[in-house]
Amino acid sequence: MVYALKLAQLSHAWGGAAPLFEITQLALPQGENLFIQGPSGCGKSTLLGMLAGVISVSHGQLEVLGHDMVKLSSVARDRLRGEHMGVIFQQFNLLPYLDVRANVLLPTRLFASRAQAAVQEWGDAQTQALHLIQTLGLPSSVWHQPVHQLSVGQQQRVAAVRALMGSPRLVIADEPTSALDDANQQEFLDLLLGSARKQAASVVMVSHNAHLAQRFDHVFAMPLRRQA
Amino acid sequence: MWFSLAWRSAWSRKQALAMVMVSVSVSVLILLGVQQLREDAKRSFSNALSGVDLIVGPRGSATELMLYSVFQIGRPSRNMSYEGYTALAQLPQVHWAVPIQLGDSYMGHPVLGTTPELFTRFKSQGLGLQWAQGRAFADPLTQPEALSEVVLGAEVARHFGHQLNDKLVLTHGQSSGLGTEHEDHPMTVVGILAPTGAPIDRSVIVSLQAFEAIHVGWGMGISPSAFKTAGGLTQAPDVKDLQPASLSAVWVGLHNRAEVFSVRRKIESLERGQLMAVMPGVALDELWQIVKVVENTLLLVGMLVAVSAMFSVAAVLLVAMAGRRKELAILRAMGAAPLALMVFVLLESLLVCVVGIVVGYGLCQALLVAAQGVLRTELGVLVQAGWPAAQAWWALAGLCGAALLASCVPAWRAYRLSLSDGLHPPSV
Repeated sequence: MVYALKLAQLSHAWGGAAPLFEITQLALPQGENLFIQGPSGCGKSTLLGMLAGVISVSHGQLEVLGHDMVKLSSVARDRLRGEHMGVIFQQFNLLPYLDVRANVLLPTRLFASRAQAAVQEWGDAQTQALHLIQTLGLPSSVWHQPVHQLSVGQQQRVAAVRALMGSPRLVIADEPTSALDDANQQEFLDLLLGSARKQAASVVMVSHNAHLAQRFDHVFAMPLRRQA
Repeated sequence: MWFSLAWRSAWSRKQALAMVMVSVSVSVLILLGVQQLREDAKRSFSNALSGVDLIVGPRGSATELMLYSVFQIGRPSRNMSYEGYTALAQLPQVHWAVPIQLGDSYMGHPVLGTTPELFTRFKSQGLGLQWAQGRAFADPLTQPEALSEVVLGAEVARHFGHQLNDKLVLTHGQSSGLGTEHEDHPMTVVGILAPTGAPIDRSVIVSLQAFEAIHVGWGMGISPSAFKTAGGLTQAPDVKDLQPASLSAVWVGLHNRAEVFSVRRKIESLERGQLMAVMPGVALDELWQIVKVVENTLLLVGMLVAVSAMFSVAAVLLVAMAGRRKELAILRAMGAAPLALMVFVLLESLLVCVVGIVVGYGLCQALLVAAQGVLRTELGVLVQAGWPAAQAWWALAGLCGAALLASCVPAWRAYRLSLSDGLHPPSV
């Protein structure tokens, strides 16, 4: 079986402090999605940073998209992220000095493999982008709009479109819905997970909001920090 | 792609960056302006007396002699004998010799007593004198009425609005006051010179004999009218008797410039060694040695301004990094390595500096061209706009190097931030 991610005995500690978390075993088959739930401060974001390759693994094993993140150099991890992952933040995902179009096409501009993937499946990157904009429920008029004219909800959807451009295999989302109201949260999640599933991309999302967990294939609760 | 992103990003913060750019431009303007003015001043001064091979005067300071006889700065403390002039003029190697008599003034402008030969011999920037109006004064030895004729330099005529046939009264010495005007001897304007950019533009030129005539009866700098002796003294003297006993200086042209050293030795052996012959170029070099301190101070100030501008670039862009943490995190999430982000920021700072340098250079040239007229007439400095001189290239290269160093500061900050923030910048 192909795994989007696979980890064992993974722990992380900042400086000389007590470990932030320790995860014995976790594996996510490629194409399935995972909800990581835990209160703030439990190390969810640090775990996401490790999955994305921004934070080095110091203790334990971590494989992402078949790559051993322990052995990979930081530059190689950056490249892996750029070529095969999409990232969605809680808010402010878009570069304010680019319009929606330029923001969305950015992954395909920065990495040739993302552009190739889009061309292979859709003929060209713009076609894929317009398709994703439609499936995420955005009006096609946003295409040339400056980012600051969009609502927060629209901005999150554009961020999802960008994350899915060029068919990444893993989408990492850090509280992507917390800036949205309840109705929007549900819709956004449905659209994100639906689009990712069509592209056979895995989605790993962290949130403190346990209500969102029911839409995911797998749910993982961050282990509580051991009291010293 | 990175370049285009850096450009779009910079453009979105164009106001702050424009301010930084202006501060760089101003520093470049000062640095290059000082440099170029210095070069142009040197060249113009060297060319101010292009036809003269030797300046002869009383033994003393070569720089002083050149300053008062050519640039009319300061005044002679001693004179050379008239016999010295006639003796050197007879040397076979000497092509021509023009006597210079100084000491009087007209409304603050120096009066130059000389012979009509000056108008044919004088060259500035390699060009001879041209007449705006009128003619040279005649030789009083053949035409005694020439004793009251005067020629004005372009600047004097322009400043006082003088026309041909205007009457003017010269002042004894440099100061103007009761009893020191040569009221008894008014002069008539017969010619006005075209502008040359040389100090002669600020001069009032009369014949040697006229210079003598207006001083007849004067002793110890006091006007004869002050004695109220109505008899004899004011009657027109015989022109032949109006030969001065001494001169301020003599400009000498040679048949063959290669003989300048031997002629100088010969002249300095005349009159029991009381004369000094100076090559204008050599005297100018001495002068530059003296003003070097001022020059270097100006250059140092220019450099300090440039350095402070570079620090301000670094400071402003460093402060701006705080507001760009989100941007860096987004780019990082898109797969940008910290090193790439460092280059990203470096590119921008460098762009600001380079544009600032180019704008500053353009501004400098534009200002020099705009001030060309004033610099020429007021200071006698002929500016040449164009590509920077070799030295200016070094200055520009130094500035670019400083810009690169200054750019490294925010770039390094970007690198550190993108490493520590990762995907989670503190929310702004």
